[in-house]
Amino acid sequence: MRIADESGLKELKNSVLQERDSLRPCITICGGTGCHGYACEKVIAAVENEIERQNLKDKVSMRVTGCHGFCERGPIVVIYPEKVFYQRVAVDDVPEIISQTIINSKIIERLLYTDPNTGVKPVHEDDVPFYNRQKRIIFGNNGKIEPTNISDYIALDGYGALCKALFHMTPDQIIEEVNKSKLRGRGGAGFSTSKKWAITRASKKGMKFIICNCDEGDPGAYMDRSLMEGNPHLVLEGMIIGAYAIGAHEGYIYIRNEYPLAVRNVGIAIKQAEELGLLGKNILNSGFNFTITVHKAAGAFVCGEETALISSIEGKLDGPRPRPPFPAQKGLWGKPTNINNVETLANVPLIIERGADWYSKIGTEKSKGTKIFSLVGKVNNTGLVEVPMGMTLREVVFDIGGGIPKGKNFKAVQTGGPSGGCIPESLIDLPVDFERLTEVGSMMGSGGMIVMDENTCMVDVAKYFLGFLDDESCGKCVPCREGIEKMREILTNICKGEGEEGDIELLEEIALTVKETSLCGLGQTASNPVLTTIKYFRDEYEEHIRNKRCPAGVCLDLISYSIDAEKCNGCGACVRPCPTQAITGEKKKLHSLDQEKCIKCGACFETCKFDSIIIK
Amino acid sequence: MPPKKTEDKKIGATLVVGGGIGGMQAALDLAASGIKVYLLDSKPSIGGVMAQLDKTFPTNDCAMCTMAPRLVEVGRHKDIEVITLADVESIKGTAGNFTLKIHKRPRFVDEEKCTGCGLCVANCPVHNIIYVTPEKDKIDISDEHAKIMNSIIKEYEDVEGPLVPILQRTNETFNYLPEPVLRYTADKLNMPLSVVCRIATFYKTFSLEPRGKHIISVCLGTACHVKGAGRVTSALEGELGIKRGETTKDMLFTIETVRCIGCCGLAPVLKVGENVHGLMSKTMVPELLHTYEKA
Ligand SMILES: Cc1cc2nc3c(=O)[nH]c(=O)nc-3n(C[C@H](O)[C@H](O)[C@H](O)COP(=O)(O)O)c2cc1C
Ligand code: SF4
Ligand code: FES
Repeated sequence: MRIADESGLKELKNSVLQERDSLRPCITICGGTGCHGYACEKVIAAVENEIERQNLKDKVSMRVTGCHGFCERGPIVVIYPEKVFYQRVAVDDVPEIISQTIINSKIIERLLYTDPNTGVKPVHEDDVPFYNRQKRIIFGNNGKIEPTNISDYIALDGYGALCKALFHMTPDQIIEEVNKSKLRGRGGAGFSTSKKWAITRASKKGMKFIICNCDEGDPGAYMDRSLMEGNPHLVLEGMIIGAYAIGAHEGYIYIRNEYPLAVRNVGIAIKQAEELGLLGKNILNSGFNFTITVHKAAGAFVCGEETALISSIEGKLDGPRPRPPFPAQKGLWGKPTNINNVETLANVPLIIERGADWYSKIGTEKSKGTKIFSLVGKVNNTGLVEVPMGMTLREVVFDIGGGIPKGKNFKAVQTGGPSGGCIPESLIDLPVDFERLTEVGSMMGSGGMIVMDENTCMVDVAKYFLGFLDDESCGKCVPCREGIEKMREILTNICKGEGEEGDIELLEEIALTVKETSLCGLGQTASNPVLTTIKYFRDEYEEHIRNKRCPAGVCLDLISYSIDAEKCNGCGACVRPCPTQAITGEKKKLHSLDQEKCIKCGACFETCKFDSIIIK
Repeated sequence: MPPKKTEDKKIGATLVVGGGIGGMQAALDLAASGIKVYLLDSKPSIGGVMAQLDKTFPTNDCAMCTMAPRLVEVGRHKDIEVITLADVESIKGTAGNFTLKIHKRPRFVDEEKCTGCGLCVANCPVHNIIYVTPEKDKIDISDEHAKIMNSIIKEYEDVEGPLVPILQRTNETFNYLPEPVLRYTADKLNMPLSVVCRIATFYKTFSLEPRGKHIISVCLGTACHVKGAGRVTSALEGELGIKRGETTKDMLFTIETVRCIGCCGLAPVLKVGENVHGLMSKTMVPELLHTYEKA
């Protein structure tokens, strides 16, 4: 059934709303990849069975939604219309949820989230501290819709922005509106989206392409995945508007093969949109044609770079090439091509629908709107958080993230993935936007935010990133290929206790050369992890080099495990986990650890409940 | 070089045969002592084998870094004349006074005008291939596999740049990319095997080795790294008695490492097949393996 025009879409929306009773209880269960890690599919099946068993089909509805963001607490169940928030729900809890909460409106205390700092147990989703400080303009609908059901999206005014763009605006007006909103690319560099669109639009007539970059190679970031999985229509709508603005009739979504659920959901979404006439030939009878092809990537970080991405779609392996010509002038198959990140495109329908004035009120002077960060690592509440630009790191890590687990001390936060840097505690009040992050030597990147505590070794972190980049460098240009490897070698030596005086200076010199002379963004930013860790944690490097010590107790060659005679009560719990039988001792007596046998695997440290294993 | 009458008078010109790294260095040394040098190579360009190497023994120096400055210098030196695509046919005379007959093959391109932009390669209608030696006799594929491959290749007939999707499907079908299949694909698509192999080795998805029934992908992304993914990996390695990238003898498990599977909230994470297992720890490993052993 095709929708004929704008009013047709409104009618469809109304009929969907009419069918639904907004007061009828609805159980939403997160079906994002994170919750699948907690076997949410079993919970989903249990809810289905239970509704069937209690014969409640007409009284309760159920929805399997995309990621809610609070992945650490999954499987997450939210019950509408009150938005009762249950976390860590198991199959056995399901009958109780239905008979208690749904039928008797009773709250099940033990399934509520407990704030680790205050002990408060908020009942409603909006009161959970993790959520109530966020501004979820893009991500918010993820929890309300079933990604494989286009009606859910339409019920929430979905594709309204597309109608507005197609029937009430010219392409130039759209670009002007996006320009006024000051939207900047969320893929990393933060280039003005409207400028890119304008260049592509101005390029000579004929074939043009728009590509949505969902390669998301940055380890530690997964917002693109969650958007694609949880709300694919939002991205599609943004993409169609973008295509209309620049005059493209063909689009590609370049998506990681490691994201099977996202590939599936976006495929379904495209099919549904095509069936309704929102995609394909003569969209909503406006005369505008646009088709989208999904291209599965095969797993190479550098293919996220736009020119490498283009050559990868073409089936070649040419890697990055020098710009100009920019893809906006000469891209896919030599035609003008616009590449945008998933999150950038998800912002577009909002700007068109609510207007640039509304949008540009959010954020800072030069960075507008919100940004989704993946707050992960050593932090209590891990997950995806969407905050207005300009929020301080402290608010993100401590207020939303709930601070560092086990009462440990905060040490640094790493932003921007392998291209970014580590920001130390002294800069914790830094407002997060494109400019500020660049000023301190890091960058926004795709929005990974990895929190590190006192047990994280910064030299090891730098080594880790260089290892990643060394593997992923395409090897086309010498500074990146050789420079990164040399830096990695030096760092590996430092971590082994073979560092020498002068290593830090040598690292800095190589880092600057690599930064200035590499061909593509990978090499140009590869030095950031090294330079920022040296800048802010030089003493830690010196400690490794001069005293052959790893203060954080991470670098295996520089540490030893021993037993604290004061604390050990001889419980014997550590004896069995030790793979080399290095720990011996009688029950209830002080145990001893044979340094000769110890392979420093850390099994005893993980097992001991009395903190009596010491790392030195 | 017209031969001089006086046999004992030595003339200051030399010919260096072979423009590899040795030839180039010889040419440069000679030219530096003020002698005119002809540098001859049978290939279309000088540089030789070293340009194909990544590293040199024993210093592990980057080959290109050693070579590039010499290439440039040879190209620029006023006393060095480079003669490429040429072979020596005969030598006559004695030291200091040789006459050579050189056979120079045609290049079909005006060397004065060509800037080496490479556009002609991209636009060549005969498959953009410069040097291909078909190795049809080496394709040793079973009929059954050939049939599977034919249907996969057919599926992507109309796709531009079909190689990656074809290899993805092949990898899924066979769980890895067998050599005969790669050779067959190259032949079918009319591509050099090297191009196919380059793609097959560049992307992480592809494996050239047979893999086990359960592929364990341990995430070593940043979030998982700081939360101790390394220890989970070594526990797996210890338990299965194999290293990362290897497969157990009974072909049941393969350990692979990946960089982020997008479940960073549950770090450390691993995947067995398509099933995600979050918040892993060393101690959970044996039980996890056990459940899959039985499955
Ligand atoms: C090494 C490298 C990797 C990149 N990876 C990604 C990626 O995974 N996702 C992405 O959206 N952009 C990535 N980019 C940025 C893209 O090149 C490009 O700038 C971006 O997709 C443009 O979209 P935007 O203007 O919406 O930000 C990467 C860049 C480099 C240099
Ligand atoms: S900077 Fe690195 S990744 Fe980029 S082109 Fe050069 S070698 Fe390749
Ligand atoms: S870093 Fe491991 S899943 Fe993202």
